[in-house]
Amino acid sequence: MTEFKPTILAFCCNWCSYAGADLAGVSRLQMPPNVHVVRVMCSASVKPEYVMKAISQGIDGVLVLGCHVGDCHYMTGNHRTAKRMPVVQKILKDIGLNEKRVRLDWVSAAEGEKFQKVIVDFVDEVAKLGPNPLKEVRF
Amino acid sequence: MREEHGNVGPVMISKGEDPGDVRTDVPYQLITILSNLYPWMTDGKKIAVVTRKCDEKALAEFFKRGYFARDRVIQIGLACNREQIRQCRCSDPVPSVVDIGEPHGGLDTDALSEKLMAMSSEERLRFWEYQFRKCNKCFACTTNCPVCFCDECVLEERTFVPERGVPPGMSFHMIRAYHLSDKCIECGECERSCPAGIPLLTLRKLVARDFKEMYGFSPGDEKTVSPLLTTLEGESLDGDECDEC
Ligand code: SF4
Ligand code: SF4
Ligand code: FES
Repeated sequence: MTEFKPTILAFCCNWCSYAGADLAGVSRLQMPPNVHVVRVMCSASVKPEYVMKAISQGIDGVLVLGCHVGDCHYMTGNHRTAKRMPVVQKILKDIGLNEKRVRLDWVSAAEGEKFQKVIVDFVDEVAKLGPNPLKEVRF
Repeated sequence: MREEHGNVGPVMISKGEDPGDVRTDVPYQLITILSNLYPWMTDGKKIAVVTRKCDEKALAEFFKRGYFARDRVIQIGLACNREQIRQCRCSDPVPSVVDIGEPHGGLDTDALSEKLMAMSSEERLRFWEYQFRKCNKCFACTTNCPVCFCDECVLEERTFVPERGVPPGMSFHMIRAYHLSDKCIECGECERSCPAGIPLLTLRKLVARDFKEMYGFSPGDEKTVSPLLTTLEGESLDGDECDEC
């Protein structure tokens, strides 16, 4: 059997994490190829609905990255994200999915290396969890 | 609630009118009806409504968001009977003022919740998958829910729930669970109205328990703002907030 390669969706906020991703790219850090980066204006604009939809359509893991608390371009945007994502995780747990499939982390524009580390960690972790069981659920 | 020709339905009466055969033992979401009536009420007029504890909490959610003026709604407290409490697995059935009925204590446990949480996650997923497969997207759960008051429902947005196709998929229920996480007052109306018999109340109870654990907040608390609308330090997020989501 070939090794399982998870499909990961990473929402990165424009002002920090996306710039961090850019820096990681410019610094030529090796990155797993199975991550799809979606640029959003702020981590708070990642509606939990998007995460739910992605998961229910079979994405193996969703990563939400934003500026560090206190650094959000819109002041309190990421405070909101910090409170919403745990609720999303709990709902996943309650319906029987692993809450580790959704992760929230903070990456600043200067943290190219951290970006790489977060991505590699997350990909490893999700690979350990195996494919999203909802992939098989078609209705 | 009035009984007429063998059917029980909500009834509205004005001063001096005879209410007829009143029944108080039928669970019914009067607050949902009130939320439809309220915008049509003549200015300055008041309305009295029979409220169980859950109705009281639903009203609190409305007051908190400024949808209803506090002094225009008079509450007539109704204590639920044992059978109703058993059906709702209600933990908090006694209204602050009991005008009708006898107060009975609540139940602490919901057998199905316990059973589900004792299962492995695969089994739990299989259980919910089986349940949600029965959903026919009738929106009864949303229509009858007292605290579903957004003007534009996300569940009707094509981005999240496809226009065609029944059942609507897992995301329908997951999104609804999220949206109600800081509002659901566990009245059980969704479960009662669901034609497919999906144990929706159990899912609400599971989420409510987690929410309480994380933020120490239970919906229906009039004094505190939902934690989802505050900063990490607990200050409320002011400005251009959408108070619906
Ligand atoms: S129990 Fe159901 S109907 Fe009642 S408030 Fe919660 S979601 Fe709405
Ligand atoms: S009431 Fe039941 S069948 Fe109807 S939309 Fe809600 S969950 Fe689905
Ligand atoms: S702008 Fe980066 S989290 Fe808000």
